[in-house]
Amino acid sequence: MNRIHMALLAVPALLLLSTQNAYAYLDPGTGSMILQGLIGGIAGGMFAIRLYWGKLKSRFGRAPVSASLRDAEDAPNDKVR
Amino acid sequence: MTAVEPGSFRDPSGQVFENDGRIFRTITARALADYTFVRDSGVLRRLVDSGRLVGAEEVDPALLSDGAHGAPIVVEHPRIPFVSYPYEWPFPALKAAALFHLNLQIELLADNVMLSDASAYNVQFIGPRPVLIDLLSLRRYREGEYWVGLRQFCEQFLNPLLLRAVLGVPHNQWYRGSLEGIPTSDLNRLLPFHKKLSWQVMTYVVLQSRLEASANDKGTADAGAIRRKGLSKSSLLGILTQLRGWIEKLKPADTGKTVWGDYARNNTYTDAAEEAKCRFIAEFAEAVRPKLLWDLGCNSGNYSAVALGAGASAAIGFDFDQKALELAFDRAVSEKLNLLPLFQDAANPSPDQGWKQAERRGIQGRRDADGLLALAFEHHLVIGRNVPLDQTIGWLTGLAPRGVIEFVPKDDPTIQRMLALREDIFDGYCVEAFTAALGAQARIVREASIADSGRRLFWYDRS
Repeated sequence: MNRIHMALLAVPALLLLSTQNAYAYLDPGTGSMILQGLIGGIAGGMFAIRLYWGKLKSRFGRAPVSASLRDAEDAPNDKVR
Repeated sequence: MTAVEPGSFRDPSGQVFENDGRIFRTITARALADYTFVRDSGVLRRLVDSGRLVGAEEVDPALLSDGAHGAPIVVEHPRIPFVSYPYEWPFPALKAAALFHLNLQIELLADNVMLSDASAYNVQFIGPRPVLIDLLSLRRYREGEYWVGLRQFCEQFLNPLLLRAVLGVPHNQWYRGSLEGIPTSDLNRLLPFHKKLSWQVMTYVVLQSRLEASANDKGTADAGAIRRKGLSKSSLLGILTQLRGWIEKLKPADTGKTVWGDYARNNTYTDAAEEAKCRFIAEFAEAVRPKLLWDLGCNSGNYSAVALGAGASAAIGFDFDQKALELAFDRAVSEKLNLLPLFQDAANPSPDQGWKQAERRGIQGRRDADGLLALAFEHHLVIGRNVPLDQTIGWLTGLAPRGVIEFVPKDDPTIQRMLALREDIFDGYCVEAFTAALGAQARIVREASIADSGRRLFWYDRS
């Protein structure tokens, strides 16, 4: 997982170096939508892994470790992009 | 007389009205399909029954005296005991509201329901318990849609929390001046480089801020393409659970001692004085049984707890010390007290502000208290802020018809500390002057010295 994090840190690190004008008063929220597109795949993947891990643990008779897993199990198991 | 709630002008799906003290909400034709979907799927009932959505009973639209303006459905809401705003919430309250919003959205996705925005103002507190007040923000989830509320969630919940958790700066004062929240680009500029080297800060602050800036440069050309691409539900759930996991771990960075934080345990009172004070307050609360008690200078909520135990129904605590407010909030949660501690500086209280200066009400225009506690409080205004004694007492007695005010004499160690490095310009400050000023405003029902501290409690009644 750490390697994925490092790779993802490289993208914003490059962004840090670039300079652009910000007209935040015009932004309809496109930035946060692009962000979701960028991180959604990874976040969804990690969500699926946690879900799988939680199920594996409960099969061996151990309770899920956190509340997030409880909700993860209730949620529909979509195909990860 | 029907009056439109001045804060409910943004959403064309409906409006909030007040009529003879009752709260109504219209649901217009454009919101009808979403409303009936949420109602008929049982989600509405489930959320109301579990206390997470404010009650909403459909009523005859004719109940609104001026008519429902053609709205097909009108619902009635019970009144929230006291409306508060995110710039008044202490850190744990804002965090509780943020987690409440995320948990609600995660749960609702299983029902194919989406929250149409992420406004912190749509969350209110009953005691320390968050509740959603805007049922019109519930709508049907559309497959592949993005979380349109993400930006607002960041500005109104996440960024103010990060301000305190990463930089140790409380959000309240800035948020009060910036009602839509803390802009991500501003937070990005404030954070030093080493604070950005975390995966979450890099993603939600640095990257988001850069993407916002570049999206503006490119105009809206990309927006359509992004929208068409869509976001799978598991990706959406992934983002929501990731944010939740992060926010669950956030705590204030400035965990050092603050002025009042240890006050409740480590104060200038002896046990006998403390006991006498609690007894006096309990007797006041038992006799007056206030429905809404204001506790000015609530500290960690000790005396609110006493009053609630003796007959007060609900208490709102005010303090300007963050640590004390955090202790009070945590205590209200753990002891299940109907107490909401809020950040407030009595010398500069929350004003009427927002659109037409009516959108967010000042602290005094919201709802009248019917009981007041101002314990070890008046000297902070009189000595600490140079507010004349008679003005201070006039203001305090104006807040509620009945209450208890504690007088702190000048030789008290706390006042001595306040005067240690400044000139004593308070020649007329004494218990006689206090008694005369209070007597001019209200009837003094009872007064009592607190053991040998020289402090004195006054129970007043001006009704």
